[in-house]
Amino acid sequence: MATKIETTEFAAQPATEEHVVVFRLAAEYYALDIQTVQEIVRMQTITSIPGSDFWVEGITNLRGRVVPVIDLRKRCGVDAGEYSPETRIVVVSSAGGMVGLIVDAVTEVMRIPGDQVEPPSSIVSVPDNTYLRGIAKLDDRLVSLMDLEGVLPAALEEGLLQSASRAA
Amino acid sequence: MASTKGQRLQFDLDDDDLKLFCEEADEQIELLDSSLVQLEGEPDPDLVQQIFRAAHTLKGSSATIGHKKMANLTHAMETVLDAVRQGRKRPSSDVVDALLAGLDALRVLANEVVTCIDSGIETVPLEADLMAVLEAPDEEGGTPATDPAAPASESPAFTLPAANIETALAGIGDGMSAYFVEVGIEPECQLPSIRSFQVIQELDALGQVLETWPGRDLIEAGAGEFSIVGFLLSRQSDEQLQTAVRAVTDVQSIATRLLNTEDLDQPQRATAAPPAAAGSSRQTLSLVEDGSPAEAPRGQPRKATQSVRIDVERLDGLMNLVGELVIDRTRLQQIREQLSAVLKDANLNELTENFEETTSHLARVTDELQEQIMRSRMLPIRSVLTRLPRLVRDVAAKCGKRVELVTAGEETELDRSVIEEISDPLVHILRNAVDHGIETPEERRAAGKPETGLVTVTAWNQETYIYLSVKDDGKGIDTSTLRRKVVEKGLMSREAAEAATEEQAIQWVFLPGLSTAKVISDVSGRGVGMDIVRTNIERLNGQITVQSTPGKGSEVIIQLPLTLATTKALMVMANATVYAIPLVSVTEALADHEADIHAINGRKTLRLRQRLLPMIDLARALGDSRPRQIGGGKFVVAARHGDRQIAFVVDRLLGEQDVVVKSLGDLVGNRKGITGATILGDGTLGLIVDTASLVSEQAALATPA
Repeated sequence: MATKIETTEFAAQPATEEHVVVFRLAAEYYALDIQTVQEIVRMQTITSIPGSDFWVEGITNLRGRVVPVIDLRKRCGVDAGEYSPETRIVVVSSAGGMVGLIVDAVTEVMRIPGDQVEPPSSIVSVPDNTYLRGIAKLDDRLVSLMDLEGVLPAALEEGLLQSASRAA
Repeated sequence: MASTKGQRLQFDLDDDDLKLFCEEADEQIELLDSSLVQLEGEPDPDLVQQIFRAAHTLKGSSATIGHKKMANLTHAMETVLDAVRQGRKRPSSDVVDALLAGLDALRVLANEVVTCIDSGIETVPLEADLMAVLEAPDEEGGTPATDPAAPASESPAFTLPAANIETALAGIGDGMSAYFVEVGIEPECQLPSIRSFQVIQELDALGQVLETWPGRDLIEAGAGEFSIVGFLLSRQSDEQLQTAVRAVTDVQSIATRLLNTEDLDQPQRATAAPPAAAGSSRQTLSLVEDGSPAEAPRGQPRKATQSVRIDVERLDGLMNLVGELVIDRTRLQQIREQLSAVLKDANLNELTENFEETTSHLARVTDELQEQIMRSRMLPIRSVLTRLPRLVRDVAAKCGKRVELVTAGEETELDRSVIEEISDPLVHILRNAVDHGIETPEERRAAGKPETGLVTVTAWNQETYIYLSVKDDGKGIDTSTLRRKVVEKGLMSREAAEAATEEQAIQWVFLPGLSTAKVISDVSGRGVGMDIVRTNIERLNGQITVQSTPGKGSEVIIQLPLTLATTKALMVMANATVYAIPLVSVTEALADHEADIHAINGRKTLRLRQRLLPMIDLARALGDSRPRQIGGGKFVVAARHGDRQIAFVVDRLLGEQDVVVKSLGDLVGNRKGITGATILGDGTLGLIVDTASLVSEQAALATPA
């Protein structure tokens, strides 16, 4: 069952508050800006493409559109277990078109006040982390705010190119 | 004057106007592009008129949006064309050259409207050139092409048949008045043809309309224009006529002129001043008694086909929807089969029959809908072919050759996506034909051929393919040079090159990095030609072949599918993934146990019709590194690319199917050996195999160097 998320009414919110979709990868919580999320669908058949990067799971048919699917668990380096009834594909719209992201579960849609978000460097020190925008400290857990373009392969390849040219 | 290049420009139009402007500009520039070349020599007056009107329209629209440079340039072109139209200037090749140069600049200028950035193009020298050719005396004494007696500024004359004059005289004797009525329609009017028709109807009500320009049949067919002239007999006063006609919407001006019997009696001299028109036209009415039937002096009877412009995106969307319908149909058919298997015993015959009826009807309708929508995306190939005369003219001039181009099959229709893709390869082949194929006039004379070479471009449909042939009567492909070149470039051993048959050697023109022209010219490039052409054609699931006879000429034939949206493919299963192999490249598909398989150097090889085909596991060739399924590899599919063939090993054959090609998207990008995906009957996806790249790669691997 597809869950269509209304995004329009939140467009005018002050910048000090983040409206996000929170999902789980293994035991970690991540969040994406709700504006980028098109819909959330249950796991469906994915056709793998020979020779793709290991985190590119393949392509799937979303109402007649061919949408590439990325296993976000593999991309983010967390344990990629078996799919469960809770497994979802979060369909996002990126600069390169629609992309499906496999997550272990979508937990909630929430607002995070800006003062609860800290830059990622103050908590974790991963030098080449292209996709973390910040960490939100909630009462019961930490949620990593994810930068969509940074998590996608196109951005990654570009980043590699840039670092290569900087080295040269 | 400092260059203004790169500066931002501002035009007086919003987005909707921009679209309209671009469509109109494109249309008129296209028209000029295709017709200016034909202007040279003795042009058809209708053609001149058409070209003049195109320049005029461009001038108007560029002035409206405030594009001064474009308006000035089109004005200069229009001035020259006007002189040609009136016979004051012969359209020599200098004139055509200046106009073509102007046209090239126009294209850039029209694009400025889209980019809003000054291209830095200077129109003043072009305008000066145009004025210079206009001032330059014509060769051959400068006699105007038309009747010298007619003052140059007068055009066109309206000719009354003798019978009408008699009727008019009789009418005047009967107490009626004979009038010339000239009606001008508002230039902004969207539907001048309808207004023209209304004007004629209004005149009909007032009296007896003896003649109209344009002719009544043209106006009734919807070809009316912004100006109508009528000759009628009426009992009404000219004032009454004017009031009645002004009642028609969009009528800008009306002028009437009462003719007396003298005017009609002495028609040859009856060149009267124009009616005191309220505004527009400078046309002078002259009466010439002439037994021949009256001819419409302006405008060919244009065929009034009805059409609607549709946004391509919308059409693509429709096509996608139909694609989904097709899938649902297949799915329904599968369910039907399952249902009838389950329900057979349950005494529900009537129900299943109804269901079957409905699904098969749906199938028919869907097929037809798909066909119709596909057809609506089809355009005649004319738009590509009309660009060719200009190209041939330019190339021939550069190489000092004389070439006549004949095109045929302009009506052949193909999908607009194919039209976009076919233009470049075709241009390339044509350049080759002129530059490399056709000999110089001296060589041709020495060979006993006419000095002017002949290049024929023909398009035609056959089954679900379109064919394009480019044929020249030049010297043919020089296979001895090819044999030497392949050895020189290290593409082949001397022995192999010598041993090849003529037919095989001719195919080497498609090898990368080979050019047989003795001198590298800026016309046909430097050997990065035919191989790229072939790659492009094959990307479109097409095939290209070349034939040649020494001294007689060569012919290149391109075979393309009618549309890129769907492809006929052989569906196969390899390691649990469904693949679609385009049928155009499949030569044979057979079961493992029927195949004649041998091992050579440890490689499995298929012997098929006297040829040895290396056998390749399809999934592995595509980079599928997952463990193989047990009991797979039971079938082989022989596929070709050019003259190379290989045999793919697959697990199962699933039959032929029309597949709707979908892109994998930017994110996945181009994967080796895969051109796209297609949605299967069960809603999952299959991958479309890029046979061309796989066959050449694998065949190269299999052939020991």
